[in-house]
Amino acid sequence: MTVLVPERPAAGEPRPYRFPAFTRHDVAGGTVIACHLERRPIVSMALVSRVGAAAEDPGSAGVAQLTADLLGQGAGGLDAHAFAIAGERLGASWFAAVGWDSSHLGFDVPSFAVPEAARLLNSALVAPAMIAEELARVRDERVDDLVAEAARPRVRAARELAARLWAEGTRYALPQGGTPDTVEGVDLDAVRAWHESRLLPGAAALVLAGDLTELDLDLVGAAVFDGWAGTGEAGGASPQAATGGRRVVVVDRPGSVQSALALGHLGPARGAPDEVALTTMQAALGGLFNSRLNYTLREKKGYTYGASAQYDMRRDGGVFVAQSEVKTEVTAPAVVDAVAEIAGMQAGGIRDDELDDVRRQRVERYPLAFASPRGVLGALSDLVVHDLPDDYYDRQRERIAAVGKDEVDSAAAKHLRLDELTLVVVGDASAVADSLGDVGLGPVEVRTDE
Amino acid sequence: MTLTGMRAPHFELTDTRLANGLRVVVNEDHAVPIVAVNIWYDVGSRHEEPGRTGLAHLFEHLMFEGSAHVEKGEHLKLLQAVGATLNATTWCDRTNYFETVPSHHLELALWLEADRMGGLADSLSQETLDNQRAVVQNERRQSYDNQPYGGWIEQLQQSAFPAGHPYQHSTIGSMDDLEAASLDDVKDFYRRHYAPNNAVLTLVGDVDTDAALALVEKYFGGIPACADLVGAPDGTAPPVIGEEIRKVIPDNVPLPAVFMGYRCPPFGTPDFDALSVLSVVLGGGRGSRLYRELVLERALVRPSEEFVGAFDFVGGVSLLIADLHCAEGVTPEQAEAAYDEVVDAALRDGIADDELARARALLTSDVLGHLASLDSRADALSQHATLFGDPELVNTRVDRLLAPTADDLLRVGRAVLRRDNRVVLTYLPEEESA
Repeated sequence: MTVLVPERPAAGEPRPYRFPAFTRHDVAGGTVIACHLERRPIVSMALVSRVGAAAEDPGSAGVAQLTADLLGQGAGGLDAHAFAIAGERLGASWFAAVGWDSSHLGFDVPSFAVPEAARLLNSALVAPAMIAEELARVRDERVDDLVAEAARPRVRAARELAARLWAEGTRYALPQGGTPDTVEGVDLDAVRAWHESRLLPGAAALVLAGDLTELDLDLVGAAVFDGWAGTGEAGGASPQAATGGRRVVVVDRPGSVQSALALGHLGPARGAPDEVALTTMQAALGGLFNSRLNYTLREKKGYTYGASAQYDMRRDGGVFVAQSEVKTEVTAPAVVDAVAEIAGMQAGGIRDDELDDVRRQRVERYPLAFASPRGVLGALSDLVVHDLPDDYYDRQRERIAAVGKDEVDSAAAKHLRLDELTLVVVGDASAVADSLGDVGLGPVEVRTDE
Repeated sequence: MTLTGMRAPHFELTDTRLANGLRVVVNEDHAVPIVAVNIWYDVGSRHEEPGRTGLAHLFEHLMFEGSAHVEKGEHLKLLQAVGATLNATTWCDRTNYFETVPSHHLELALWLEADRMGGLADSLSQETLDNQRAVVQNERRQSYDNQPYGGWIEQLQQSAFPAGHPYQHSTIGSMDDLEAASLDDVKDFYRRHYAPNNAVLTLVGDVDTDAALALVEKYFGGIPACADLVGAPDGTAPPVIGEEIRKVIPDNVPLPAVFMGYRCPPFGTPDFDALSVLSVVLGGGRGSRLYRELVLERALVRPSEEFVGAFDFVGGVSLLIADLHCAEGVTPEQAEAAYDEVVDAALRDGIADDELARARALLTSDVLGHLASLDSRADALSQHATLFGDPELVNTRVDRLLAPTADDLLRVGRAVLRRDNRVVLTYLPEEESA
């Protein structure tokens, strides 16, 4: 005989919580932001630059990532293999990641090896080998990456959507890593120029998160910034919308058993005054598991393994995109349902129970989100990249808790724009193209030039 | 080199059982006000009957669809509304369910887990089954059938193990078997595998052990044990395949790739640990032999920081994987030949001290970083309690990885990395293979 407790338990008393304490100080011409985390023996340390792919000239899209890659291919008299070994023999793993608004170079490294990792990071920044043959290899690797990523239906759909929403020839119309053509065109002079004029300490900070108890952060900072100088501007993408009205684009992928959908329009840049209201709405529309899109397309209809929507908010522009991969046979009905959910939120706003769930979710997740070195590194990086005050996270938590239905509904009405929705479908055109003419999103164009 | 400064922490554990057989492991860690709740059920795809592949994973989905006192959708709703991260995964040996919650919501998590451990049967409906069957079939399409190279794992499992072996089929299961799963199958699966005496519950984080154990008793204590648990099937198999099995798969892929699977000793043995270290020497990180030769020197394959790695199967034998994604213009034959040269040279000529030291340092960092996270620590404790009967083994994990000598690596490597012990899948872009 099974005996279960029928009553749902009430919450206990929460422990007071604040964003983890961190220090910020200037060392040797640079800034060091450091956060000690108890019992986190592997420290995440990164040189965080405010300059990312958005600052690239569209014709040399990919140069930021190629530069970051090349800095790790040998430096300070070490070749690429020796540079790799120098970190890994201490248990340190190198990373070099570029986003639209930032570049991250650094290591996940055991505490005791942070000083040595700092010296390696410094040599990558000030004395990279910069060998043409290495660049040629890294360029080929990145071209292969771009080709391989585009073979994934979901990625292909998102890229096609960006190409349709942003004006041709502008940076945001191209993938973040560039295209095979633009990457092929990046030569050693372009990489050197990026390294010397854009990747500079004046637009960067050294961020560390993990067990820092036995470290002298002044020495660590001095080691990283030694011999490295210069100020730089973040630079922007000059975003420009495409013209030509909304449409349905089918990228033919014959034989596909699913259609990858990307449905979206341009959205606000980061820092919009109604950002908290907007992201609250987004969570209810396509963020939480029980969000309207996921609940309808997955839990009610069984059309998909998952459906979501987000606002990608960059420093100077943004995109709203809803994505799902649905069984080929239900492609048009899934689109109709997705559009209906977006329209319902746009016109009717958020329900009280949804608002309550989202607010609580976003407030209560704080101690989880900022527990790990990587989680804290990401949060502190955002302070650098977006020039936010030190009390940003605690203040933001108060704003999240206080957001009201009127603000959320206004954000929904303003930032969901049905008449601007462009749909990209990567799937079997012969099976889906005809039915997509009836979904009310404009003329259907089939691309078969893959 | 030494590993001075990288001291593996010792986690203080309480390891106990309720009267109904539920094993409970608690590790207090008050650094942050959160707690990881993790349950392993000792059932995975290896327990599935012929014609019912995918049932363990399909069942995992149904665990989120409501139970005695929880409506459909409510499990996720209630946990997400308190900021939790949560999920579940099914693998060949086990199914795990986990949520990390702010510590003042521990009781909610325990209530939800107990309700679905003890009270799922009456909530299972044909409608819910049909819905989640469709979701899982879409998961299969998304992750396997409609993805470039998506079928490799299924293909390797099918060829590397003898017919009917518990690891011969994938956890996702076949479309036909998923279609055939009935409500009776699902209820029977629940009754035979989802019971307190077939589970380990681990709590790691900001809890008081005594208070937490009292809550566990309160919520789980009334769930009866299952008297006729179905154990794992016999996974005994010859240690080597006995031939090189080769398959060419024309597919909608942009570049050729080669996936290799070698039968190998199971997880939890010293030889598996030696193989883990050898995998890093050969193909882990950016300083490995394969990275140096195939990426830096010859630009034959796309970079990977894990060219080689073993699955953590415990039932008799496991599977070591190597995968090579060809660079543009490189044939799979060239990539495979270069790989074979590197591996053969290492096993012929031996492994240098500094190579072994690099591998040990990377593995130590990896384990320490992994165990520092409350949720992965909880999962590791459940894992070692479920598979080996002893969660304390987590505290000696680093020591065991540091134990194998260079000679051990060679001995195990020569026994496993043999041509007559591997399956080689070659993916070719369809137009090239036409």
